[in-house]
Amino acid sequence: MAADNDPESEVFEITDFTTASEWERFVSRVEEVLNEWKLTESYVGKSSPGKGAFVSGSWGEQSHDVHFADFKFHITHHFLKEEEGQQEDGRSEEETLPPAMHDLLCMSNDFPPRAHCLVRWFGLREFVVISPGANCEAIISESKCNLLLSSVSMSLTNSGCQVPMFVQIQQKWRRIYAGECQGPGVRTDFEIVHLRKVPSQYNHLSGLLDIFKSKIVSRGSQTWGDGTVYENHRNHSVRLSRFGSRVSFGSCAAPFSHRRSVYTPGQKVAVLDLDPLEAPHWSVRVRTADNLQCLLGDFITEFFKLCCRKESAEEVLGRSHAEEEGPENSDISSALSKLTEPAAPVPLSKLSVSSMVHSARKHIRRRRHIDESPLNTDVLNSILLFLFPDAAVEKTDREKTTPSNSSRKTDQERSSQDNLFLHLKSAPSDSLTYRLALCLCMVNYSYGGLPAVTHLWQEFVLELRYRWENNYLIYGLAAGPPDLRCCLLHQKLQMLNCCIERKRSRDEARKAQEGSRERERPASGGRASASSTREGSGGKSWDSWSDSEDEFFECLSDQGDMEASQNEGGRDGSKGKAEGRLHPYNNMTLLASAEPLYVPVTQEPAPMTEDQLEEQSEVLAKLGTSAEGTHLRARMQSACLLSDMESFKAANPGCLLEDFVRWYSPRDYVEEEVVDETGQTVLRGELSARMKIPGNMWVEAWDSARVTPARRQKRLFDDTKEAEKVLHYLAMLKPADLAHHLLPCILHAAILKLKQEESLENIPSVEKSLQQATSQANKLLHAANRDHKKVEDFINQLVAMETAIAEARSLQAKFAVDEEEDNEGPAELKRFITSLLEEPEVEVMGAGQARIGRTIHRLFINAQRVSRYPLSGRHAALDLSRVAHWQLGRFCFKRLVLIG
Amino acid sequence: MEDDVLTTLKILIIGESGVGKSSLLLRFTDDTFDPEQSATIGVDFKVKTLSVDGNKAKLAIWDTAGQERFRTLTPSYYRGAQGVILVYDVTRRDTFTKLDNWLNELETYCTRNDLVKMLVGNKIDKDNHDVDRAEGLKFARKHSMLFIEASAKTKDGVQCAFEELVEKIIQTPGLWQSESHGRAVQLTDEDAGGGSCGGYCSLL
Ligand SMILES: Nc1nc2c(ncn2[C@@H]2O[C@H](COP(=O)(O)OP(=O)(O)O)[C@@H](O)[C@H]2O)c(=O)[nH]1
Ligand SMILES: [Mg+2]
Repeated sequence: MAADNDPESEVFEITDFTTASEWERFVSRVEEVLNEWKLTESYVGKSSPGKGAFVSGSWGEQSHDVHFADFKFHITHHFLKEEEGQQEDGRSEEETLPPAMHDLLCMSNDFPPRAHCLVRWFGLREFVVISPGANCEAIISESKCNLLLSSVSMSLTNSGCQVPMFVQIQQKWRRIYAGECQGPGVRTDFEIVHLRKVPSQYNHLSGLLDIFKSKIVSRGSQTWGDGTVYENHRNHSVRLSRFGSRVSFGSCAAPFSHRRSVYTPGQKVAVLDLDPLEAPHWSVRVRTADNLQCLLGDFITEFFKLCCRKESAEEVLGRSHAEEEGPENSDISSALSKLTEPAAPVPLSKLSVSSMVHSARKHIRRRRHIDESPLNTDVLNSILLFLFPDAAVEKTDREKTTPSNSSRKTDQERSSQDNLFLHLKSAPSDSLTYRLALCLCMVNYSYGGLPAVTHLWQEFVLELRYRWENNYLIYGLAAGPPDLRCCLLHQKLQMLNCCIERKRSRDEARKAQEGSRERERPASGGRASASSTREGSGGKSWDSWSDSEDEFFECLSDQGDMEASQNEGGRDGSKGKAEGRLHPYNNMTLLASAEPLYVPVTQEPAPMTEDQLEEQSEVLAKLGTSAEGTHLRARMQSACLLSDMESFKAANPGCLLEDFVRWYSPRDYVEEEVVDETGQTVLRGELSARMKIPGNMWVEAWDSARVTPARRQKRLFDDTKEAEKVLHYLAMLKPADLAHHLLPCILHAAILKLKQEESLENIPSVEKSLQQATSQANKLLHAANRDHKKVEDFINQLVAMETAIAEARSLQAKFAVDEEEDNEGPAELKRFITSLLEEPEVEVMGAGQARIGRTIHRLFINAQRVSRYPLSGRHAALDLSRVAHWQLGRFCFKRLVLIG
Repeated sequence: MEDDVLTTLKILIIGESGVGKSSLLLRFTDDTFDPEQSATIGVDFKVKTLSVDGNKAKLAIWDTAGQERFRTLTPSYYRGAQGVILVYDVTRRDTFTKLDNWLNELETYCTRNDLVKMLVGNKIDKDNHDVDRAEGLKFARKHSMLFIEASAKTKDGVQCAFEELVEKIIQTPGLWQSESHGRAVQLTDEDAGGGSCGGYCSLL
């Protein structure tokens, strides 16, 4: 079948492979791969790995796809990576046994924990495995198995490869391999027998010896499959080196799919009875279920999926009838507390649904029929009450309820959490935003998914509008301008609160005025913006910055339109009484008079959220870098300066620009000691050079500034417009945007929860990864464009931590059953459990005699009793909660060595 | 022209009013000194393309007014800045003692903990020094900043300061990669990258 390699033959002879069978092609492809991996070279002189090298060394792997007709196989080469400088060990030339056979005999690496099963069973350091491709069916029929083995045999022979090669047969989960290794005049076959149950006669060494011997006897000239006959075995003699039996167990211990124990019957072959309980050394390893489901992880993952939804709120609610069937199977309060400790000032459990008189809701006409709503009314009401606990309080009491008294946490707790929300750019954990995130997450998971989320959000925005229209502050937000360190949504809510705050004090001031009709003004500068109707005049002329004069304003608050004659007040403020003084400034007096210099009451600059700031800086940047651009930029930003100048003039009649500068920009008033004509040193001050430049913007602004106290100036901050902007923004958010905004809060909650749970269990590895995760999240969540994939990875990390904690808990529960025989102390048990979690395999001190050993034994007994599918790995894999995997009787014959 | 620009860097200049922030910037961008420059209102903005080690970087530099009343405006400009130049006037001690306030503000509002900070002592052309170089060095060391003394008037140290800052930013992995190229954020190991803000170093 192969080309004629005779050098004597005709040069132009055509070599035709077109007629080669699929099988031939398969064999030659395997050979090619072996050649490519350079496994065909002589291995003589390879030293045997040192003791423990299988565990300490690192394992390499390379693989290819090979096809048999259209059936795909994976061929994989596993090998222990060679350590540097480990080459010769002076083995004599005659001894030409393949290294694999030496490995079989070598006892320094028996039963390594955590290695490929073939390594563990046969003690190999290098081998090749052919297994069916990912989506291909298993090789079950006997003739197929034989065909494969024949192929292996042929490729090994043809290529001279001395590395053992295996094929995986039967169902994957059974992990049954057949293989062979060829050397000069030597062949070793590897077989595995998988029994449902250990036959009683094989519980003894003598029984095992019997099968062993019978296997060897049958080894004659043997035929596999398609008539390929092995040629090179003769004079077989047997050497039984040593013998390991292993029994695999599974326990029905959620969350573990099965726990595998290895009982190693030590070195003494004299022990004939292989009862595992008698074994002097026990070691245990824990195998965990692959895709254990954890609640927290599910919550986050589901919430994260929302970020990818494309639908607008309209689209979701429009077609929500079809898919709305959110079964309310659990109590809302418990669902919430599962995710985090309730941060609600009012514990939900204390609120009966019937007692909820949600005053806000009454004012808003329902848009939908109740039975059409994705979210059940009762659930919705409890959530809204959780979010707006002040709504339950009688309306008269409402005013007293301020956000600040919602904090009940100790300072210490607070500071560490504060740190976290800054890190994650989320929101404080007692804030409305944070609670909203939790509610949406919970609603998404348990109460109807996307439609319910959308529904809740709509109701939330309605409530906000109600509060804006009725001057009720939004509960659970820190006062003051938006905190730029929090997430944008939190900033928006704070912004709305700023608007409500301003509107409220404005309305109150107006009421007070209407009530008394006096000429006295309210004490604070709260009515600063009464002339709201004249908004939007832009920044073109100086006059537009402030627009009303005393008299007109005093008579009627909303008549700001009326232009006052500006002259009689005088630009220099030389006449008239002082208005809007805050406090005297550093005992200074005015330059032109003996009057103290007063700091005026000023308008607060307009609060802004980060997106507005961004927008503003973009506008400013767009003006370019020319001189005109710079000038325009300065002018656009001078509203605040002008307003301050006007307030200053009002508070300090008869003041000069110098006075203003001494307060506002003190380094621009230069004082010098000079000697005057009379020979005395006096302090003489003047404006700095840059302030004296004719026509510079400061002078210009000063000249155009009128004498107007802050409360009669045009407001710098238009709360009406800003509130509407916020409400519009919120109403237009798609569910995905909402989820995107709130994700940091959810991750924040998850980290807090994990921290709390970890501190109960004290698992060092989890603690460490939590710290790492937190600092990683910092970058992730602060980035301008969040990387979806990275966030996903991050969530997976959190899930892994949750799983680790759950496992620790489960182990603890299993081992801590017998409190009465507590003589060995919980410390040892704790140590044992910790090592089980962190190390691949753990020695059981005292083997079957000690408490831990007895517990393990009992676990297995129990598992055996519960299990209804003795051999069914499939079922175990599918049934995650009640894992019933009972695998007993996997016997592996290690070291059947045939020496030629 | 723009094609070969490696990245756009956002840089912020802060410090008390009158220390020469705007003059330093003007010296850097236009290589002039304008005694007629008026006091900044709010924030100002300039752009300059700079080539460091063969890397072209476009600098978007925000100049701020230092006055107390303008400070409520500026925190927003800290957002996303990759480099900050903190300026004091070597002839006015009060501008030096106020540096702590500025650092606090920076800490509160800047969004990345790996941004590169540079301390500049300006107006060294003047005779009446009130803060000597050793003090500036000490402060910079304490806060892991770059340090240089400069004069916007005589142009000493100005070009060098900006170049050094940009170089440091470019050397700090993760600082500029993410935003500039629009591709995925390079999540380098937090400890390996920046963090230290490039450490202390002196240029003169
Ligand atoms: N002698 C000297 N004067 C300077 C220097 N830099 C700035 N000035 C002057 O200091 C004053 C304030 O400068 P400016 O750049 O406006 O400071 P800013 O408020 O920090 O922006 C101006 O009068 C400048 O001419 C310098 O390096 N040397
Ligand atoms: Mg300036």
